[in-house]
Parts: sequence; C-alpha cells; structure tokens
Amino acid sequence: MKRLRPLDPRSWFRHDPVGGPAAPARADAAIQMYHCSKSYLAGSFALRDVSLEFARGEFAFLTGPSGAGKTTLLELLFGAEHPSEGQIIVLGRNISRLGEAAVPRLRRRIGVVFQDFKLLPRLTVEENVALALDVLGTPRREARAKVFATLKQLGLQHRRYHHPLSLSGGEQQRVAIARALVNEPEILLADEPTGNLDADLTLEIMDLVASTALRGTTVLVATHDLGLVERYGKRSVRLEAGRVIEDHRPAESIA
Amino acid sequence: MRRLTVLLLYFARTTLRGLRGSPVTTAVAILTIAVTLVLVGAFDLLLHNMEDLLDDFGRDLHVTAYLEDGLTDAEVSRLAAVLLTVEGVESVRPVSKDEALARFKDGMGADLLDGLEENPLPASIEIQLVPEQRTPAGMRIVVESIRGLPGIDDLGSGQDWVEGYLRALAVVRGIGVGLSFILALAALLIVTNTIRLAVFARRDELDILRLVGASRAFTNTPFVAEGIAQGAAGGALAVLLLYGIFRLVLPGLEFGFEVVLGSAPRFFHASEVAVLIGQGAALGLIGSVAALIGNARP
Repeated sequence: MKRLRPLDPRSWFRHDPVGGPAAPARADAAIQMYHCSKSYLAGSFALRDVSLEFARGEFAFLTGPSGAGKTTLLELLFGAEHPSEGQIIVLGRNISRLGEAAVPRLRRRIGVVFQDFKLLPRLTVEENVALALDVLGTPRREARAKVFATLKQLGLQHRRYHHPLSLSGGEQQRVAIARALVNEPEILLADEPTGNLDADLTLEIMDLVASTALRGTTVLVATHDLGLVERYGKRSVRLEAGRVIEDHRPAESIA
Repeated sequence: MRRLTVLLLYFARTTLRGLRGSPVTTAVAILTIAVTLVLVGAFDLLLHNMEDLLDDFGRDLHVTAYLEDGLTDAEVSRLAAVLLTVEGVESVRPVSKDEALARFKDGMGADLLDGLEENPLPASIEIQLVPEQRTPAGMRIVVESIRGLPGIDDLGSGQDWVEGYLRALAVVRGIGVGLSFILALAALLIVTNTIRLAVFARRDELDILRLVGASRAFTNTPFVAEGIAQGAAGGALAVLLLYGIFRLVLPGLEFGFEVVLGSAPRFFHASEVAVLIGQGAALGLIGSVAALIGNARP
C-alpha cells in the first residue's frame, strides 16, 4: 500500500480563496484524494474513506466487481459528483470547493471515455470529436485540422464524414477516445472502455489508451477485466464495497 | 474577439439546427405567439387610432361663449377684453350673428334655414386655450371661471365629449391590458414547454457537452436564442396577419372613420411594428429562461 504524506487538513485551502488550493502535495501529482466518501443514501456508501494519489503521466487501473465504486470514483474526479466527505485535488484544484463556473474549465483538461461511447448519432465522426473543441471556441479551420490529426493517429481519418452508427464498436470507441484526446487533456479517465468490445478490439483500444500515458497524460482505467491488468503490469487499485482494499504497484511501474 | 465570433457562429448553427430539428413544436410556438400578438396588436391598433383622434380633437379644443342677444359691438369688445385676462386663455375671436349664419350655411347647406325670417344663431366669442390647458380638466377650470360673466348666455365646449371619450379609451385600454396579460401568460407556457421539450430531446448532446467542459451559459445560449427567434418570428407573423385583417376590414370602416376622424384609420408605424416584434422576442426570451431555470443538470 502506498503511504500518503501526513497533511494538516487546515492547510489545504489556505492559499486559494476562490476555487481551491495550490496543490498541497507534490507538484507532480495529478490527482490526490484524501479520506473521500460518497454517500447517495444516508448510511450507505458508494465510496468510503478513499485516499489515493496519482502522479502526472501515471497509468493505473481501477479494478473491482460491479458496484465496487469505480464509476463513482471517476465521477468524483471530473466533478460530476461531489464527495460527501474528504477532499479531492485534481490538477491543483480542490473539486469540492470549485464554483459552478470552474467545473467546466477543469473538465476541459480532462478527457473521459465511457463503455457506451456516448457519441451523438446525428453528428458525423468529425463533428462528434470537434465538440470538445467547440466548447473552447476553437476556430473551425483549426478545429478541423486538430480533429483530422487526432483521427489520423487513431486510424480513423477516412471515417470522419461517417455517422457513428455506421461504424463498428471498436471504431466508435476510438471516436470517443479521439474526442477525449483532441484537446490534449492532462488526465484521461476511462470507465470500462472495452466493456462492449471483443478481445482483439480490447487490446487495440487499450494500447491506444496506454500510449497516451507515454505522452505525459495521467490515465485511469476502470475495469473488471483482471487479465487486462495483468497484461499491462501497471499499478492497480482494487475497490470493494467502496473501499480501497489493495493498491498494487508492480516494481517496473514505479517511476 | 475571434473567439467571440467563433462562439456566435457556433450558437447560430446550433440554434438553426435546433429549430430545424423540431419543426412541429417550433411552428406551434410561433403560431401561439402570433395569435397572442394579433389580439394584443389589434387592441394596440384600436388604442393608437383612438389616441390619434383625441390628439386631433384636442388640437382644436376650444370654448365657445354664446352671447345674449342685443349686445352692442362695444359691449362685445369689452367682454372679449375681459375674457383675454382669464388665466389659460390664449386668444379670443368674436363671431357675429351674420358670420355664424354664413358658417352654418357653409357647413350644412344654404337652404336649411330658408324660410326663417330672423337669424336664429347667437353671436359668440371663440376662446382658444393655451396648449397646456387643452384638456378636459383645464377646460373645466376656464369654463368655471368665465361662467356667469354678464353678457354670456351659455358656454359650449367639447369637455363632456372628451371626458366620455377618455373613459371609453380607459376601458379599451383596460380590456387590452388584461387580455394581453392572460394571453401572454398562455404563450409563455407554450414557449416554456417547447424549450423544455427541446432540452429534453437534446439531453444526450447536453450531457456530452457538459462532459467535455461546456459551461452552462454555453449549453443554454442556443435554447435562449431559439426562444427569442420563435418569439420574434411570432411577432413578425402577427404583424403580417394584422395587416391582412386591417386591409380586409378597412373598406367597411373607412367611411365612418373619415366622418369622425377626418382621416382614414392608420396601421402601425415602423416603430410600433418593431415594438410588437420586440414583445414577441421578449415572450420567447422569458419563456426559454423559465424553461432552463428548472433544468439544473450537473
């Protein structure tokens, strides 16, 4: 188990009255969670007293059975949910203290990929990927160039004028990954990204996700596929009933 | 600046896509607003014309002092001089019996009074009021202060008529305001529900936009723009419909209006057309904002 640095909770927000503190821990930490709990109903916890830290550029898996709290943990990280207790610092911002206007700004630095792709069937592949740039007000020509470059990296440039439903599952997930990566996020969160894909496609998609960590993006992949975890030999955090029961770091994965 | 242009273009595209994406609900919203504004506009039009009439009438609103028979010219001049000193009186003009008869003949036809041996019309003094006094209340003050002056037999003014007219105007205005309020409320409900439906239909897109970092303002703006566009389109349609109705019923009304008004009834001025379209846009704006307030998705 990784030991967290002892911290004085009162010092966490001292420096930043608006959105959150300057990172209290190491500057190379992308995600820090301190004693986080999330409860949707009084007395029952989706997450319980979770303390974790992920470095910039780290690639880690979140494992555990269905209902273990993997999705909840990811949702806390991109501000879809607020922790009931504890503090979360993502890219130097304290999530639970972020104002409404600050959440979108943080999300622009985080890419998210889901099991069900979440693509819009009415839009073309290019338009789907461009959504992440539209919200930034990126000029169209520049956006198209970026989208093309990203799709090319993922081998999808020839599909850019197709609609998602005419694509295979693996292609659709690659489009979703393209959307998550097109504005070069500092963190990539993937919730069962290969849950709907067959074994060959799973490896193809996971290789793509893993390669983004090599470029300095912090990558967190939630999966219940332990074979995948073993194959990549990276850090894996096991959740059960909302608690961290194991934080396994193979020797070679420790930088 | 460049970013703003890009965002505006994006909003315009998204708004158009939204309107095109649900043509039936959009058409219903536009029609509802148009029907509302046709009724509101019809009352407006009536009021505008009634007010114009009042203005015209007010311009030559004056008091006539009918004189007792048998006053000498000197007495009339003296009385005229006294009237000029009354506060609120701008000018006076004596009208002799002969002049009154000549005017009557001019206006009503020469032969109507033929056969009378004597001129039945009294001499009078026409009293023009200073402009700020040309109201029913102002007129009453002048009338009261000259009533009973020696030599004056009777006083005539449009005061009663104007007061009655103002009451009618107030009733029409009251009905118009009340009706407009109720109709506007109904139109607001329709617009609000249209936008709610649009938000619901596009919830997946909104969720994804929020996911990739869209602010609430970013996701809401196209819906507000949709509401404003629907409202303005409804307003424009209302103007067209009103104009059609106006042209249709005008021939039937023209004669009566010309007799009373001295001119044909008029349609809206450009600025009033703009106000009507603006009212539609405001309905759309309020309706869409109301729809979005209840939609606080994270």
